[in-house]
Amino acid sequence: MSGEASPREVLEKYVERLKQLLPREAIVDIKVKGKDKVYVEVKREYLPEVLEKVYWELGGYLSSMVGTDDRNIDSHYRLYYIISIEEDIRHLQWKPWIVVYTKVPWDDPSFKSTTPKVPAASWYEREVKDLLGLEPIGHPDPRRLALPDDWPEGLYPMRKDFKFYERPPRQPKPYMFRPEKVSEGIVQIPMSPIHALADEPSQFRLFVDGERIVDVDYRMFYVFRGLEKLAEERFTYNQTAFLAERVCGICGYAHSTAYCEAVEDALDIEVPERAEYIRTIMLEVERLHSHMLNLGIACHLTAFDWGFMELFRIREKIMKIAEILSGGRKTYGMNLVGGVRRDIPRDKAKKVIELLKTVREEFKRAIDIITSNELFVRRCEGVGILPKKVARALSVVGPLVRGSGIPRDVRYDHPYAAYKYIRVKPAVESGCDVLSRLMVRAREVLDALDIVEHALDQLPGGPILNEEKIELVEYAKGIGYDEAPRGENVHFVVIGKDSRVHKWRVRAATYNNWPALPYMSRDYTITDFPLIVASLDPCYSCTERVVIVDVKSGKTVTVSYARLVHLSRKVSQNPTHTPQLL
Amino acid sequence: MSFIRLVEYSSRRGVATHPYPEKPFEVDELYRGRPVLDASVCIGCGACANACPAETIRVETDYEKGVRRWTICYDRCIFCARCQEVCPVNAIELSREFELAARSREDLTVVAEFKLGSCAKCNSYLDVSIRHVELAQKLLEKSELVNIMRELAKYTVMCMKCRRSFFVEKLGEATRGG
Repeated sequence: MSGEASPREVLEKYVERLKQLLPREAIVDIKVKGKDKVYVEVKREYLPEVLEKVYWELGGYLSSMVGTDDRNIDSHYRLYYIISIEEDIRHLQWKPWIVVYTKVPWDDPSFKSTTPKVPAASWYEREVKDLLGLEPIGHPDPRRLALPDDWPEGLYPMRKDFKFYERPPRQPKPYMFRPEKVSEGIVQIPMSPIHALADEPSQFRLFVDGERIVDVDYRMFYVFRGLEKLAEERFTYNQTAFLAERVCGICGYAHSTAYCEAVEDALDIEVPERAEYIRTIMLEVERLHSHMLNLGIACHLTAFDWGFMELFRIREKIMKIAEILSGGRKTYGMNLVGGVRRDIPRDKAKKVIELLKTVREEFKRAIDIITSNELFVRRCEGVGILPKKVARALSVVGPLVRGSGIPRDVRYDHPYAAYKYIRVKPAVESGCDVLSRLMVRAREVLDALDIVEHALDQLPGGPILNEEKIELVEYAKGIGYDEAPRGENVHFVVIGKDSRVHKWRVRAATYNNWPALPYMSRDYTITDFPLIVASLDPCYSCTERVVIVDVKSGKTVTVSYARLVHLSRKVSQNPTHTPQLL
Repeated sequence: MSFIRLVEYSSRRGVATHPYPEKPFEVDELYRGRPVLDASVCIGCGACANACPAETIRVETDYEKGVRRWTICYDRCIFCARCQEVCPVNAIELSREFELAARSREDLTVVAEFKLGSCAKCNSYLDVSIRHVELAQKLLEKSELVNIMRELAKYTVMCMKCRRSFFVEKLGEATRGG
């Protein structure tokens, strides 16, 4: 783009603004890294103030927060708040990342919580408290987040002196769901947790007044597997690329790409153009199958099974495309640090382009029929509204934020891989409801089809892997990011010794989206809840078992997941029907 | 209105399901399935074990029996083809086989054993297999730096201990001679 400020100029402008905006005594150090990153070290006591200014006044979104145990380097812990500056400069191609970090001394592991000023930081600070033992002072909700309830007090698994094979004895302790709004006539409904098919089991507690949801509380992290710990202590760089692909069952490739990008960013490794294109192609193929799955599930939950079946039939062709391109239907295993492992031959590309044509035609027809179905539209319209203001405050990502009218898309905001050459316009809808999110996904499917076809057609020549010897720079930091089907994934890597990472922090898209759930579900009915959860695109099958507790009489009724889905579907067939749960 | 279109469209579609397992499921010719080792080619060097992200390929040296044992357990395999990529003699290759259900872990384990080479001097076992030694000698003989390499080829069949004392001896001779 001509006439646009160069990334360096934009970055310098922001460094100037930072210096003006922040109190002089707060800043310890400002360093520019690469073409779009600023690392700002601040004093511990100024953290909330600085973060508030960067978040609200510079127009930042909190992308990730990482706590590292650097006691072996300089007897300190470090906290990195990774902020993506987007507002007011949406039109620029290179938007800056501002990393605000602070040191926490080993003998006083606490810091002032930023959550009261920046609500998006809530989960991150609870996690740092659980895993590293850094106490966020003044956090409004200091309950456990990541560790199981029976994990012993005072043992912090992400500290370096805890080894990955340690199995501490259990100390059972109940988790306190928030009784905040329980008053006369309010009933609590726990929807508890495990289903073998769920990608994220979680327990929801619905506070209902009749059929109306008053509040929602949740307990997650039943499947906290400690992958990061494993990578830090056991795996080498290239092995971790495969481990990263196992972070998620649906968008694993996006994680593996983000991990490789983080290491490449830390060590300034150049990726050949052909490898960038191949990564882009695979990322979009992944988006295609994930979005079709989600749209299909939405149809299923609204009792429109034709849509579910038809979308899954089309999705099967996408799985075939993945198989042709990568040799595997779901785990592509293509990434290494410095490029990709598998080339796309010309004849395969042609075969895929042929398949894409039929997919496009069939998908357009299916979506046309689905959206012209009044029952489906009425069921999704005006349900699960997430106001723009809440979305902004919680730094929500992916189709969820785009459905609420904010054009956030990493592919556009911070172009990585081949999105530098192929520009993507974010698909935005302004309805803020379930329907808007579904429409965003439908539009992105069509965009993704175009991108894959274009990239396969324009695939540049050259090598696919940078095979130069990698010079490991100890404690170099890198950020990798990409737009997974569910939203932005951010990986943070600190390079360590013995070709292992010193710190690897995975931030999956849903991490930023979950805290929005209570805001989306209030004032809707229990039967809307599965649909609202599904529109977030996390786990639809995790509501395996629903126990309904009447607080006054202590009466318990167990409702199966199948029955809940049945009720949800019944409402679409007969909107005046009020199901009797108790 | 939409309902009529739907019925009309679906009736033209026909059956979409595949009658698996009655009819085999065809996979692409470059599909990544079960890795198969050609034990007649393998030299037991352990490059695959080093690269394996799932750590399902293991290579151990058994000095008592005098073998180098190569093991793969398919229940942990992630079919990534890293082993195929790093193999110096193309002994391992991914097949297109994906139906791997079995009753026990033993049924999914494949073991290959390679005889260890022995030291030309003290006759104790080397750290590498006979084939590994042979390959190294063959490569050295083919090398352009003929004389030095032929000389070096002699040392490859020595255990570390003998090699060390051999070199010290040679060094001593050389310094005395000089």
